[in-house]
Amino acid sequence: MTEIVTKNRKKIVTTLPSDIDQVGVVVKYDILKYLRSRRLLGMIAIETLVLLLITALPPLLGHQYSSNADSFINTYASFVTILVVIGATLFAGDAIVSEFQSHTGFLLFPNPVKRWVLLTGKFIASMGAMFLVLFIYYGVALGLGLAITGSFSTLGAESLLLAMLYAVAALAVGYLISSVMKGATGALILTFALFIFILTIVSQLLTLGGVIPWFLVNFAGGVIGYITEVPYPTSSTGNPGGGPGFTMNTYVPDVGVSIAVMVGYIIVALVLSYFFFKRREMVA
Amino acid sequence: MTFMNDPIVIENLTKNFNGFRAVDSLNLKVKRKSFVGFLGPNGSGKTTTIKILTSLLSPTDGRAYLEGVDVAQDPKKALAQIGAVVETPEFYPYLTPVETLAYLGELRGISNRDLKQRTKEVLETVHMTEWVDKRIGKFSKGMKQRVAIAQAILHEPSILILDEPTSGLDPRGMFEVREILVELKKQDYTVFMSSHLLNEVQEVCDEVALINKGQLLRNGPVSELTGADKFRRLEIKTIQPISEEWLGRISKLHDVSELEIAGPNIFVLSLAGGDEAQANLLRELYGLNLDVISFKESGMALENLYMSLIKESR
Repeated sequence: MTEIVTKNRKKIVTTLPSDIDQVGVVVKYDILKYLRSRRLLGMIAIETLVLLLITALPPLLGHQYSSNADSFINTYASFVTILVVIGATLFAGDAIVSEFQSHTGFLLFPNPVKRWVLLTGKFIASMGAMFLVLFIYYGVALGLGLAITGSFSTLGAESLLLAMLYAVAALAVGYLISSVMKGATGALILTFALFIFILTIVSQLLTLGGVIPWFLVNFAGGVIGYITEVPYPTSSTGNPGGGPGFTMNTYVPDVGVSIAVMVGYIIVALVLSYFFFKRREMVA
Repeated sequence: MTFMNDPIVIENLTKNFNGFRAVDSLNLKVKRKSFVGFLGPNGSGKTTTIKILTSLLSPTDGRAYLEGVDVAQDPKKALAQIGAVVETPEFYPYLTPVETLAYLGELRGISNRDLKQRTKEVLETVHMTEWVDKRIGKFSKGMKQRVAIAQAILHEPSILILDEPTSGLDPRGMFEVREILVELKKQDYTVFMSSHLLNEVQEVCDEVALINKGQLLRNGPVSELTGADKFRRLEIKTIQPISEEWLGRISKLHDVSELEIAGPNIFVLSLAGGDEAQANLLRELYGLNLDVISFKESGMALENLYMSLIKESR
């Protein structure tokens, strides 16, 4: 406890909060950042557009909605990974690097707060923003499913849980990139490109080569959509064209393995992110 | 070690950047309730030292203590003792000054009641009361610097560390920040302020520490250091225009040298000696029937010392 008496006799008593209490403070003000920034609004606008397109296009094109709640939710669930990648880019891509690049670190870091406290607080706030987006998305999708099919999709709820886990893994990877990169723009682009292009290309090349890419987080994220399919699909290898030497592999991620992979990504990415963030110096 | 008397202690502090030694075995103690100017040319190691003190950089070797706490060993405890403005900090543009102070105050554990009162006080101190509810993203550099000082004094720290607080500001911004510094000097802070503006240092600091190439050249009270050089520069303004004849007569006075005309009725001279020599010179000028309007020590003494030490250390 520090007690300081000033000349005007006013006494300020400060009790340095515990690390956990400080995490709460960081979460509070980072959530305020998301609420006031256009990123969260933009993200909600994007998901509104996605929801509108998925819901409005089938009747406009003369198709009927599925009468099965799980099947109904499947279309929505298959677009979630893209939403998660956009969210990870917006909420994690520059979360750490911006403190260095935009010099807000000169304000924040000379305060008595440990780096892991800042990382944890920021990460929880990012999770909060991402979960809000997912809750809105699944809330609308499950609500529409209930209204249209008359039954609630429990597999849709399971899909939400898997989407939340995938979102945390994507955010963790985003934080790792943000801890390592020097520029915010580069970090944002790399986070987006990693999930949309790089991992997708690697995953497809491995599949072509007959290697199951179970260890790739984007492959594991496929369970978000597959979980709503009844029965759960299985991997297959075939020769659809019948031509010589051509084999097409279709690999479906195993739910248990995918959960383990996503948890692994979360742990490894966050540990590495902390390692780099702690060592990082405010040079310029 | 005397941490009670010296809240800032730097011991053999060294910092290397890819083979470049920015701080080189620096040793320095800052006395309690002193206002110390940390002087040196660009690239001399001032900011690096301050960044190590504020845990923005890790030392390659040596130690820095704040109120007896090793900054590298226990940064949380060490930083609890200080308020700092390092370089030109940027603010979260989506927060207002009140919210920014609330964020940093909550991180430091100031109670809600104290936080409200202190926020009001410090924003008054830095003349930002009209802007309390405006988002900082729209503020000028000078306004941001004033908010930066407000956050540094919010929790009434025992130590204030300021890194070139007027750097990059326009003349008005510099004047405003300097006024705040003069105000802070009246309070019980120990202030360690880097600067390369000698007039600023001479105006607000009791003591200076001169650094170049990461090494301490000299430190001590401003008057003592400039006096140690047995040299002071004076600027004198008179009613009469200063003619060559006047110059000839003045140059013959005791301990006077380097006499120059600085304006139609202004001249500057160097005087060997201290306060007594200065008082004697004034008497002698009156003895010459010269009508003196103003008679003041210019910042040149410190500048002279600074330049000579920097030159020596090259």
